[in-house]
Amino acid sequence: MEIAIALLFSTLRQATPLLLTALGGLFSERSGVVNIALEGMILFGAAAAAITVNRLEVAMGGEVVFWIPWVGLLAGALMGGLVGLIHAVAAIKYRADQIVSGTAINIAALGAPSIVLQVLYNNTSTSQEVVNRLPNVSLGPGSVSILVIFAFLLVPVVWWVLFKTPWGLRLRAVGEHPEAAETMGINVIRMRYTAVVLSGVLAGIAGAYLSIGFLNQFIRAMSAGAGFIALAALIFGKWHPLGVLGATLLFGFAQALAIQLQGGDVLPATLVQALPFILTMLVLAGFIGRSRPPAAVGKPYDK
Amino acid sequence: MGRLLFFAASGAVLLAMALAPWAIPLREFDGTGYLLSPLGTINPKGLSLPEGLSFPWLGPLFGAWVALIVAAIAVFLTPNPQARARLLYVLGGLGIALFAVGALLFYQAVGSANEAALAAGARRPPLRRFALSLGMYAGLFYALALLLLARMQLPGGLAFLVRLRGVVVPLVSLLLAVVVGAVVVAILRPGLGTQGVEGLGLREFIASKLDLVTYTFQILFSPLLSLPGLFNSLAFATPLIFTGLAVAFGFRAGMFNIGAPGQLTIGALFAMLAGVYLPLPGFLLLPSAILAAALGGAIWGGIVGWLKARFGANEVINTIMMNYIAASVLLFMLAANEYRFFGQTVRLPFKAEGFEGRSEEMQEGARIPLMIDLLAPGGTFSWALPVAVGAGLLTYYGLRRLDLGRRLLLATAATLLGFGLGGLLPGFPVTISSALASQLLNGSFLIAVAALLFYNFYLFRTAGGYELRATGLAPKAAEYAGVSLRRKMVVAMLISGALAGLAATHYVLGAGMDGTYRLKTAIPSSVGFDGIAVALMGQNTPIGIFLSATLFGILLAGGVSLNAQLGISNQIIQVLQALIILFIAVGGLLPRYFTDPLRAAQVETEAKAEQEAQPAQRATL
Repeated sequence: MEIAIALLFSTLRQATPLLLTALGGLFSERSGVVNIALEGMILFGAAAAAITVNRLEVAMGGEVVFWIPWVGLLAGALMGGLVGLIHAVAAIKYRADQIVSGTAINIAALGAPSIVLQVLYNNTSTSQEVVNRLPNVSLGPGSVSILVIFAFLLVPVVWWVLFKTPWGLRLRAVGEHPEAAETMGINVIRMRYTAVVLSGVLAGIAGAYLSIGFLNQFIRAMSAGAGFIALAALIFGKWHPLGVLGATLLFGFAQALAIQLQGGDVLPATLVQALPFILTMLVLAGFIGRSRPPAAVGKPYDK
Repeated sequence: MGRLLFFAASGAVLLAMALAPWAIPLREFDGTGYLLSPLGTINPKGLSLPEGLSFPWLGPLFGAWVALIVAAIAVFLTPNPQARARLLYVLGGLGIALFAVGALLFYQAVGSANEAALAAGARRPPLRRFALSLGMYAGLFYALALLLLARMQLPGGLAFLVRLRGVVVPLVSLLLAVVVGAVVVAILRPGLGTQGVEGLGLREFIASKLDLVTYTFQILFSPLLSLPGLFNSLAFATPLIFTGLAVAFGFRAGMFNIGAPGQLTIGALFAMLAGVYLPLPGFLLLPSAILAAALGGAIWGGIVGWLKARFGANEVINTIMMNYIAASVLLFMLAANEYRFFGQTVRLPFKAEGFEGRSEEMQEGARIPLMIDLLAPGGTFSWALPVAVGAGLLTYYGLRRLDLGRRLLLATAATLLGFGLGGLLPGFPVTISSALASQLLNGSFLIAVAALLFYNFYLFRTAGGYELRATGLAPKAAEYAGVSLRRKMVVAMLISGALAGLAATHYVLGAGMDGTYRLKTAIPSSVGFDGIAVALMGQNTPIGIFLSATLFGILLAGGVSLNAQLGISNQIIQVLQALIILFIAVGGLLPRYFTDPLRAAQVETEAKAEQEAQPAQRATL
């Protein structure tokens, strides 16, 4: 029983960054822009959040101040949004190959934080540990970060926005058939910019969760593929918020299981860690239900 | 618009020349320098130059440059394009001459000062790390830009530039990336030697920042200047050639292979298994181990190709997933010896003793020797390699009449024969410095060159390669012409994966990682991602891939010294790569006729029509 509860809470914690990122990716891909840069956006957000909190702590004399982690969260979200904007400008304005520009961002996310860390902390792989983390919320037998609650509450919100509001309808139209949407008077370009920046903001929040919620410092490449798993969850969840919820819970569970199995005698953790990736490939091949992307995804829009 | 841009650029160059240091006669190890500038030297740490060394020509040279730039602006306002072009050519030539004069004067002054000091009994030259700096370089670039601009004034100028877009877009992207990288460095680091210096004026502040970024890039490119540095660069470039080829091969077939890291990892695993465990005699062992590396990568890539052909599964996502699976497999094999499966203990033999996750050592016969041992075994220069290369090239280009297959076969035979016979020729002793002997450049570089040749021949000289390129350019047309798209997808990913897998020959069989002939879990598989930058920068052409891999190899080698000297993380190379990819993705921010082949063709057609309409004017030129 205790193991089951520990596994449940671990699943929630592992699923949160995936869920936040995948919901963000949902906006981007539903608008027709492939966002392979989610991984990089998480890392940029995580670095910005941890560094901001650390700098503020230094300025405030190392005390626990309630607003500091929130400013860190804001910094992470803004940084994610900024990186999203770069991807958006490349993909929408300059009609770049969206995979290529996304890859560029992912590569930058491995290098750029290190340069800043080197200047601030004279070390290229970690930031200083922070004391001001995002608050935890007690949930029965355990407690989780407040962002975990936020992520799960976001699912119905995203569902409602996407399927019950005019804005959501327009977004989906832009991703399915931009020309038709344009004739209906929808500003395709603006919709796409909004969607991609929004996905960056959510990925940045996921990064902040990793660096100042789940852990208390930034570590180089700490996302460890979370952005790609989120992308996989998006496909697995058939570009639908509820499907995404299910997929991220499954992948989160696989990760929690891998942690739980560490040193146990059931299965080697290194192999269980590969599970989400294998599952995704099976889904893509159509072994576990077909998944159809938005029709205009990945295609630059030309007026 | 173009006119305004030119005036702005000229103004910027003028400003840079006024503010930036022109040359650094002396620099400490930590980068603190003595900055020469026409508006007065800047010397924050109070370094002293030897007696009698002065640079009186700096002011007049600056005056000449100002005159030249003003003249260029005036010329640009003249109405007749032909006259404009002619005068701009002259000014560009003059600019290059001015640069040469400045460089000559500087190096002569510094050289004679050093000689005088040594003659007077100094133990080492007093002036070290001297070099030209941004002020001079700005002039050189301006002069080159004037020459290009002159060409642009003539009819068909734009079409000339558009025709060269395969070079223009990467170069502009490189330039933009360097500028952004420089801005990042300038923001993050204080000017060299200005830390803790009080009362720094604005001019000193700007000059020291410009000095910082110039020196940063000078260090990054410094491996070009020494033989060990060059060897080191090529050692870094070797795996990049493989992964660059892998990505480029995918691009040519219309597929995006982000899976090179995984393919490299599995290739390395296969190479390790063959190299450590295959009970074969030496002459068979090494070829089998190399083939095993290719096979491992081919399997890992081929799976993705098959999934796409059979189920239409997107290769981008699948290759990424396969990267993580490969990383898991590698860890599983090498991170521990014992695993528990449902209570049962399973032992794996692969991990060697010790804390680190690493394999056993390769057998002697599976090791690729260092390049220096191939070129000069035991300190004696061997003719084997030069003769082999020469014989191969001569045969290939001498037998133009034969068909390609025979030419290749004969050239290969001649290469092997040359290697054998060249080895018999008497060599001569050479001294190999310890710096050179410690470089990890190994025979895998030759495999990389062979892979480049293969890429060139397969894609551009065979029917299969032609079909593959057709598939990439216009899949529907290719299919209509009878090409089986599904087959091509699998073939493309097989070969692409094999090329990525071959990168393992450098790391595992050639000990390119740290000089030990083992596979380690720390194998830098991310060079697979670097291959994307190499392929894009090289525009998927063999020569381009070689050059861009070498460029990144130089930068990576220089990044190590950058870290040691200035404390700037060598991750800056990673950022530069990312920036280059991003800028190439957006077409270097150039107009669309540089990236869109249809619009490029339109520009060329228009230029041709324009030229035919003005035959009289052309005749007067």
